[in-house]
Amino acid sequence: MKQDHKHNPFKIPEDYFEAFSGNLMKRVEGKDDAIPKKDGFVVPDGYFDNLHDTIKPKLNVSRVKVIPLHRYRKYYFAAASIAAIVALVFTLNRGTADDITFEDIASSDIENYFENYASDFSSYEIAEVVPVDELEITDLMANSLNNEIILNYLDNNTDEFEELNLEYDE
Amino acid sequence: MIAEETLVKDLQHPESRSKAFEVLVDLYKQRLYWHIRRIVLNHEDADDVLQNTFIKVYKNIEGFKGESKLFSWMYRIATNESLTLLKTKARKLDIGNGELQDKMIGNLTADVYFEGDAIQLKLQKAISSLPEKQKLVFNMKYFDELKYTEISEILDKSVGGLKASYHLAVKKIEAYLKENG
Repeated sequence: MKQDHKHNPFKIPEDYFEAFSGNLMKRVEGKDDAIPKKDGFVVPDGYFDNLHDTIKPKLNVSRVKVIPLHRYRKYYFAAASIAAIVALVFTLNRGTADDITFEDIASSDIENYFENYASDFSSYEIAEVVPVDELEITDLMANSLNNEIILNYLDNNTDEFEELNLEYDE
Repeated sequence: MIAEETLVKDLQHPESRSKAFEVLVDLYKQRLYWHIRRIVLNHEDADDVLQNTFIKVYKNIEGFKGESKLFSWMYRIATNESLTLLKTKARKLDIGNGELQDKMIGNLTADVYFEGDAIQLKLQKAISSLPEKQKLVFNMKYFDELKYTEISEILDKSVGGLKASYHLAVKKIEAYLKENG
């Protein structure tokens, strides 16, 4: 070999040939270790050993069911539906003598109608038709709420007291 | 190992329930924990979700009809509980899911229960950049080493779709690691 005369300018990384067949086999077998197999997460010592003891006392505690308050928007539609019902009661009573009553209209249909066709009512317009003074908050909701549930909700869902200062200037 | 049907029967019977539940927890705690942990990333949240999952299983076992395997049913509960926790967190912080993922990854560097090196941290970053479904499939296939048929039962998706999701996920993660390597 006359390597001295024909100087080879190309270099290879160290141990390239030693590792070559290993790397090749990995690729042939489809075991590409480009993605590490360990994820680095650990748990506190003895965590799994004590897990059952931690869970056991909690099994028979009946948890307070939290019913989420409907979003603001929902009140709007509920108020709108009540307005619609009130309006419809008058028209129907005057118009026809049919036996169709307002129970025949699914409230989801009414909400749907307002959602699709009449969403440009302002809250003032609705307030003009709905006797707000006589309304209780429970009239607008499907489920009755007790104080515990409300407190629980506020506890879990509001971080700042400012959020409680609702503004009515829409 | 105790047969699944026997375990379910024991769980549904009031007299044997308590003992069977202990067996159930021992049998599945580690697998469910790691599944949850890879979604929520930190130990405290994973612990919360894992406990809730077992409590839900305990309270709903009477209604378990055996249409799916007990194992996939529990995995499904754990998955839903984990995703719900993330959604609640995002809502509380008033941020989107992407922002929440960034925050969670940011917290990993200070997490005493994360001992990953730079590459493992990068891997978590790569995984967190995936869409939700690909992320779930990748973790379940790559780390939990579940079969496609099992994942299909848990997530209620077709095996073909899952395979496609997994391969896409792997490609994206490899590209991410190469780009940021």
